[in-house]
Amino acid sequence: MIKLVEVSKVYHRGPEAIQALDHLSLQIDSGEFVAVTGKSGCGKSTLLHIIGGLESVSRGRVFLDGCDLAHLREPERTRFRRDRVGVVFQSFNLLPLLTLEENVALPRVLQGASYDQARQEAANWLEEVGLSGRQGHKPHQVSGGEMQRAAIARALINQPAVILADEPTGNLDSVTAAQILTLFSHLHRQWGKTIILVSHAPEAGQAADRVLRLADGRLLA
Amino acid sequence: MRAWLFRISFSHLAQYPGRTLLGILGIALGTAVYLSISLAAASALQSFQVGVTAVAGQAQWRIQSPGAPLDEALFVKVRRLASVAAAAPAVESVLELAGVYRGPVLLLGIDPFSERPFRDYEFSHAVGLSDTAWTEVLTRPDAVLVSGPLASRLGLKVGDALGVMVGPRRQALRVAGIFTSRSGLYPLDGAVLLMDIGPAQELLDRVGGLDYIDVIGAGPPAEVQRRLQAALPPGVEVVRPAAEVRRTEGLVASYRLNLAVLSAIALFVGMFLIYQSVTLSVVRRRREIGLLRTLGMTPGQVLFLFLAEGLASGLVGGLLGLGLGVGLARGVLAVMTQNLSSLYMPVAAQEVGVQGGLLLQAWGLAVAATLLAAYLPAREAARTQLRAVWHREELEEKIESKAGLIFGWGLVALVLAGVGAYAKINDGPPWPGFVAAFLILLGFALFTPLAARLLGQGLQPVLRKILGPAGDLGCRYLAGSLSRSAVSIAALACALGMLIAVTVMIGSFRQTVNDWVSRAISGDIFFGPAVFSTAAYDQYLPPEVLAELRRDPDVADIYLYRCVRIPFKDRYILVIGGSFEVLARHGGLWFRQGDTREIMERVGRVEGGGEGAGVRGQGSGKDNFATSRSNDDNPEPGTQNPKPAAGQVVISEPLAETLHLQEGGTISLPTPSGPQPLTIAGVFYDYRTDGPSVWMDISLFRRFWRDTHLNAVRLYLKDPARVPQVQARLQERYGGRYRLLALSHRDLRKGILRIFDETFALTYALEGVAVVVAVFGIITTFLVLIRERVRDLALLQAIGASRRQILGMVLVESGLAGGLSFGLGAACGSVLSLLLIFVINKQAFGWTIQLHFTPAIYWQTLILVLTLSLAAAAYPAWRAIQPHLAAILKEE
Ligand SMILES: Nc1ncnc2c1ncn2[C@@H]1O[C@H](COP(=O)(O)OP(=O)(O)OP(=O)(O)O)[C@@H](O)[C@H]1O
Ligand SMILES: [Mg+2]
Repeated sequence: MIKLVEVSKVYHRGPEAIQALDHLSLQIDSGEFVAVTGKSGCGKSTLLHIIGGLESVSRGRVFLDGCDLAHLREPERTRFRRDRVGVVFQSFNLLPLLTLEENVALPRVLQGASYDQARQEAANWLEEVGLSGRQGHKPHQVSGGEMQRAAIARALINQPAVILADEPTGNLDSVTAAQILTLFSHLHRQWGKTIILVSHAPEAGQAADRVLRLADGRLLA
Repeated sequence: MRAWLFRISFSHLAQYPGRTLLGILGIALGTAVYLSISLAAASALQSFQVGVTAVAGQAQWRIQSPGAPLDEALFVKVRRLASVAAAAPAVESVLELAGVYRGPVLLLGIDPFSERPFRDYEFSHAVGLSDTAWTEVLTRPDAVLVSGPLASRLGLKVGDALGVMVGPRRQALRVAGIFTSRSGLYPLDGAVLLMDIGPAQELLDRVGGLDYIDVIGAGPPAEVQRRLQAALPPGVEVVRPAAEVRRTEGLVASYRLNLAVLSAIALFVGMFLIYQSVTLSVVRRRREIGLLRTLGMTPGQVLFLFLAEGLASGLVGGLLGLGLGVGLARGVLAVMTQNLSSLYMPVAAQEVGVQGGLLLQAWGLAVAATLLAAYLPAREAARTQLRAVWHREELEEKIESKAGLIFGWGLVALVLAGVGAYAKINDGPPWPGFVAAFLILLGFALFTPLAARLLGQGLQPVLRKILGPAGDLGCRYLAGSLSRSAVSIAALACALGMLIAVTVMIGSFRQTVNDWVSRAISGDIFFGPAVFSTAAYDQYLPPEVLAELRRDPDVADIYLYRCVRIPFKDRYILVIGGSFEVLARHGGLWFRQGDTREIMERVGRVEGGGEGAGVRGQGSGKDNFATSRSNDDNPEPGTQNPKPAAGQVVISEPLAETLHLQEGGTISLPTPSGPQPLTIAGVFYDYRTDGPSVWMDISLFRRFWRDTHLNAVRLYLKDPARVPQVQARLQERYGGRYRLLALSHRDLRKGILRIFDETFALTYALEGVAVVVAVFGIITTFLVLIRERVRDLALLQAIGASRRQILGMVLVESGLAGGLSFGLGAACGSVLSLLLIFVINKQAFGWTIQLHFTPAIYWQTLILVLTLSLAAAAYPAWRAIQPHLAAILKEE
């Protein structure tokens, strides 16, 4: 279960203070598929990054399965990112140096698994996202949709309970985007993952259990 | 359009000020070093040449006798010749100022009545020179005229006392007047004393002798020379004064070339920096290039864009370098004048003449180097297919696929270097050797991409086992970012290679010299005038000292030593007369082949000689046997058929090498008794830096040179343990009376090694600069490499890599890169050191240097490089793994 209590996030850009999140409280149950929408700059990404432990809050508290993120120190925070959440970015963010399979295996290796073990699992997850046969390619050699599938497989390999996806279809054409959304639904149903998906696509709202609307860092009822 | 393009370039330069600055600084340093060396060398040489020319004045011919005074009577004879329009006699010597003043000064003894047609410093035009001054010069034996520059430097006024050291003796002179000259006077920074010839002869202990007679001919030059030569006794030469200038040029050429080549290395390393900087810029701006091309920019314009960027660095860096170089030149000149004075000729240039030509040359070199370095990546950018995104990964793959080919070119370069090492151009500077050195550097640099890839791939499984993901990723990044890091690794490898090579060469040389001092220089005490410079040849041991030494109860044996410096072919050589049979008793010289005893005996056996043997110590009774026997072996003079060879000599290895002479051959030596054909009995190792030498027995020398002076003696004690006591006693007995110095063998070794170290100080400094430039390179490389990778690092953190893992990864990569540059540098340096020792030095100077490896330089550089590269990478990595991952990941 994810719980945010009175969370604020203020960015300082020079003398200017930008209120990205404004006393935001919310709760997401385990196994829920939540879509987050709102116009650009309303704080969607910020919300996701805070839940994913990539960003700290200015005020308020964040709990994930009872554990208070604000109290995590750096090594614990690292472990949290590695083991508890999987993040999928709009711009894929694969390491260009590694093959798709190696990219997927990386979080598992960082966790301490043996390389063979990690590759084996990576191959399985690549198959799961429909990418079998392309594991030896480097990111720049495959299409955007394929890169995003690999990124999803990477988010899954450590079997986190929560998947955070920030506009995963933003860089893709509508057909590919639909396929990726289907993949998330599949993961939700098949594996019971908690999924928080930021998307502007109406299809996302249909696939999700619940839609959160954000405006100016606040939740719209 | 042009201006607009430039603006794009400059905005990029300004956007990455750190990187740009380091690139510019690298070029600036390289240029500065190169310029300072050229300026200093040119200034030293020019000051010397101007001096020589000024002293030669209007003289067309110079009559002199090699390494010996001319008979004074010759002057009258020469002046009366019909083909002689004017003649002027002179004695000259470089003396040390004594007392409160320091430094060398040229004493010129002239005949005021004969001078007028010759010298530039016309006396009637002289400023501040009154008639009474002239009267004084002609009437008082201690009166001298002091040159304006010297007078103002020392604050001398008319009537002041001025002390000079004439050999071991201190003499008081009196300033009768101050003269100025329209042109510069002599290399010693205008430090000239004029004296009437009579008192000068007296002062210099050369009564009845002249150093040269300058002549202005009447009639066609060839005819004049023929007539003069015919009228002169054998052994007296008629030469052109200009020949001396040419000879000094040749003398300094190798020295200067070596330094110039070394300084070019710094520029070479700077080129790598520029290459890297422009490559990075091309890679970073791949999108922009794509966009500009889509908007209609031609490949030529793209090329121009990046060339302009390189050019800007070159122009600015070069300009900075010019300023820096002129500043540095003064320091370099100081070291250089010291080197040149102790090696070749008295120089005291203090002012650096800033020559526009040299500035332009250095600047041009800097700009050309940067353009060349920028051209390769610029061409690459221009050639890129028209597409919106130029993936760095594609460039990476291209380099990876070409690594083998590049390695192949490296091998070709090494093979060519091998050819260059064996190629020999007779005489002149060893150009093929230098080209070979460059090719070796290039060859190893070209090995870098493949080596980096193999190292990364080879160590990956190993380090993965030991260090986990950090080791794994570190290796991958090393093998996978060749397009960015290979050039830096190569640059550092080159600089390290040069450093190691030069250090091994100098270390070997030093050790060889050290061995040589122990093995080939015997004697317990070296006793002679306390002068260590090229001026030492006309400093004599007072004759009465020898007589006293012979009576000294501590002294078992005395070796007599006489040395003159004579022009020979296109250089100067030393002719040394020594007591060979004394030397033979104490180990002899160190011959490169043949039996030492036999050679020493052959040279020591002089027909009709015995002078050398005769002056032996009286106290050494047990050695008399050897002496008398060697005398008994001598056949009676005159009873033999005229032999082709006038005697036997041994020559030093540098002489043999540079003039292609061999054991058993003949050398025709100009002497005051005419040219003498001499058989070369042996070639010995000799590492004195003051010139190649011919050694003969002192009796033979005295026969040819007809002088009985001694420059120094070596004393062999009955009890070598008493060296300190005897040394102290000699110092006490003669130290006050004369300026004589008694050195123990240990002192001598120390002195020789000190001169050695001084000589190579400049070389070390040059190498240091190349390393500094390369260090710039490695620092920028990692700063840039890591900064460009912040996104990767943030991503790694986002997916759960710990700070330790990330730092570990970066350190593995940079450690391996540093280690690789060291490895390549060490291999390159070892090969280069062999080239320097066995080819370049041998060809340039003729010294055989024994190879002595200096392990210290290897681990020292390893530690330096590893520390630097680890630190250079750790700093930006540490900064990159601070929080705000989201911000980094978000931006695209
Ligand atoms: N690192 C940062 N520094 C300063 N301001 C920031 C930073 N990150 C986000 N912001 C600001 O915070 C606000 C919320 O940003 P956020 O990225 O969460 O918006 P978003 O809803 O994801 O927008 P989009 O739909 O365009 O991705 C914006 O006004 C943004 O400019
Ligand atoms: Mg966003």
